[in-house]
Amino acid sequence: MIASANNERRKNTVVIGGGIAGLQAALDLADQGYKVAVVERQASIGGRMISLSKVYPTLDCASCITTPKMSAAAHHENIELLTYTEVDSISPGPHGHTVVVTRKPTYVNAEKCIGCRLCEYACDTEHPDDFEQDLGSVRAISVAFTNAIPQKAVLDADYCLACGLCLRACPTDAIEFDQQPRQETIHADTVIVASGFQLNALTIKPQYGADKNQNVISPLTLERLLAPHGPYGRVLRPSDGKIPDSIAFVQCAGSRDETIGVPYCSRVCCMYAIKQAMLLSGSLPTADITIYYMDIRAFGKGYEQFYQNAKAMGINFVRGKVSKIDSADKDDLLVHVELTEEAQDCVRKQRHDLVVLAQGMIPQWNPTASSPVHIGRDGFVATPDAGSPCSTNVPGIFVAGTAGGPKDIVDSIAEAGAAAMEAGRYLSMRGASSDSPRTVALELMA
Amino acid sequence: MAGTFNSDLHLDIKAFGGKDVDMCMNCGTCTTICPMSEDSGGGFPRRVIRLIQTGQQAKLEASLDPWMCYYCGDCTSSCPRQANPAETMMASRRFLTARYDFTSLARLFYRSAAAEISAIILVGLFVTGLFVAFHGPMVLNKVELNTFAPVHAVELGDWIMAAVLSFFLLAGAARMTWWTLGRRNMFRISPMIFLRQIPVFFVHLFTQKRWHKCGSHPSAVRWFKHLLLVSGYLSMLTLVLILLRWFQTDTVYPFYYPQRLWGYYATIALLYPTADFLISRWRRKEPIHLFSEASDWIFLIMLFLTALTGIMVNIFRVGSLPMATYVIYVIHLSIAVPMLVVEVPFSKWSHIMYRPLSIYLAGVKQAAANAARKLEEPEATKAAA
Repeated sequence: MIASANNERRKNTVVIGGGIAGLQAALDLADQGYKVAVVERQASIGGRMISLSKVYPTLDCASCITTPKMSAAAHHENIELLTYTEVDSISPGPHGHTVVVTRKPTYVNAEKCIGCRLCEYACDTEHPDDFEQDLGSVRAISVAFTNAIPQKAVLDADYCLACGLCLRACPTDAIEFDQQPRQETIHADTVIVASGFQLNALTIKPQYGADKNQNVISPLTLERLLAPHGPYGRVLRPSDGKIPDSIAFVQCAGSRDETIGVPYCSRVCCMYAIKQAMLLSGSLPTADITIYYMDIRAFGKGYEQFYQNAKAMGINFVRGKVSKIDSADKDDLLVHVELTEEAQDCVRKQRHDLVVLAQGMIPQWNPTASSPVHIGRDGFVATPDAGSPCSTNVPGIFVAGTAGGPKDIVDSIAEAGAAAMEAGRYLSMRGASSDSPRTVALELMA
Repeated sequence: MAGTFNSDLHLDIKAFGGKDVDMCMNCGTCTTICPMSEDSGGGFPRRVIRLIQTGQQAKLEASLDPWMCYYCGDCTSSCPRQANPAETMMASRRFLTARYDFTSLARLFYRSAAAEISAIILVGLFVTGLFVAFHGPMVLNKVELNTFAPVHAVELGDWIMAAVLSFFLLAGAARMTWWTLGRRNMFRISPMIFLRQIPVFFVHLFTQKRWHKCGSHPSAVRWFKHLLLVSGYLSMLTLVLILLRWFQTDTVYPFYYPQRLWGYYATIALLYPTADFLISRWRRKEPIHLFSEASDWIFLIMLFLTALTGIMVNIFRVGSLPMATYVIYVIHLSIAVPMLVVEVPFSKWSHIMYRPLSIYLAGVKQAAANAARKLEEPEATKAAA
């Protein structure tokens, strides 16, 4: 595709990923006057955090922390959000980095769309809702989720029947069936990689039987079950809609395990399991809640107290790694575990209604194919300089949040600030003026 | 000594082949995955590893758990730390074999392949020397093995060797019994319990039926091969120890005669499984054959060579090749005798004794515990009344 003037932008910084780390970095730079573009592959910014119910150790509502940052970024004069956009390549040159992105077609003209959702209400094609971890359903054309930013409808071509119902319902004629993917180029002085994490497959350990029983669930699914605006508004187990009476958390179900190639600790599972257990005991006061763990890693500020509170609340902590999960019948589960702190009769098969597997954190994006950024042996972006923990192997490209390794929200936000600081220092050393998005070097190139 | 604490126990186990014992973080995956462990109250592999890591040698020596493992390898393949619990169990069996042996020769042989090979060569040369010095007249126009090596003399040697080796082996068995039942308990348990459990020993000696429970993969084939090997071994033992006068003869019987048929069966039952195990160890085909210590190789190779030279004696004898028969006979004994002298009490062979004995002892313990419970129950009901 020939790059036309419309398809080129000049920025001080491109932030890859519009999650909590990317937004924090973008805001920190934009507040200093630098021009920032945030590239987000989903239809809305907010990342993983916006789908969570509450955060540890304060039990604050996750949306209450994320949404203000989302809307601050959306309304910031120095920030441009490129949602529904994939990064094709990052090529460093002597005059900064060239980031080529593809803007996926939303089939909705974002200028015209007013987010009224009339198209969504008119559409009669439904499919499982990604955002709700497939628990609910969503229309083929819809706004990503209630508090999505931008509040613009996106049409999913995989499910759309092109029946035209939305076309007729739209009051502003925003729907454009003929949109095409559009490649665009951003010239930037610095790049911050904040591409985040994904969880490894629920079925990665077949002995946990997630492919055989629906009631072996992901912690992100439980987040949605616990969220006040979640799919059911209450905690029900997936297979039969029963209110679970006995819930097990299986820790280290996808990390610290050489057999699945994730030898490292995912760092957040202990704490979110404790948090979810606490929230569960709030919403299901009579339920038995057991956490099967190897060690409880309550490393952060206030975390140990949080753990002790959970114990005091009557949450059952059992030391032993679960080796196998069988179906007791169609719905219930048998968890095989050695109670390593018991003297006798220690091999048990415990029956539970619902099992949550603490899946491992793995990187969402591998930059090596499309950029000169190196990754470490664990697959996360390598940070070779211990004295500059956000710097990658490429000068001017920085990393923030879980793209650089597993970490929790608190650490991601702190690291995003650090990455913004390092990027800001890099920009000022290159003589980039915060008032002008163009560096001297870029002027020369243009 | 039993009763000691040994902070270097984990290093010792490493020298016996359990190289990754320090990797274990005690999560317990192995114990729950193990199909045998639940019967012993979840005693292994994790708890055995824990004993090793914490240097509790006395408890390890008092434990029968290492002998309850038949090495299916499920624990090793599911271990999140890849700490190889199955091989640690194997190493603890080697360690225990060495501890049961009061001479410390087993310890030397297990830890040093050079020492084991030297001992085998030494005993082999000794046997060859005996024949060179004391062999009978060599009749060269026809095969007269009993003139070259008079059967009564060979038989005498057989019995002396059997007596000496049995002494060492039984001494090891006694130490195992002593340590695992406990000094005090041994005399508290009713002799009737010891007697009643005896069939258990022989059932497991002849069938190794526990193997069937082992492993998520069907292990019937491996069990059968091992059973074949044991049957071949016990057949050969009977033929050369009890029936030697009938077996070592200069008369060439017809092919279908039981003496020849039995001999051929025993040979095949020794050659096929040993060759198969050697190939499997070489190619690392089965989980049990992934890791091989020198002692594993030496045992299999010696057993294979014993059977091979044995059948060659028969071939040359039947083929009327006198000189070849005498030479291969001397070679055969120079391999078989050191194999027995070194392996029976001091190395891997001894598991033919310790394996069924451990199941017998576990049975005795269980029966004694049941008896004790029965004694307590009436008292408890009386007290309640």
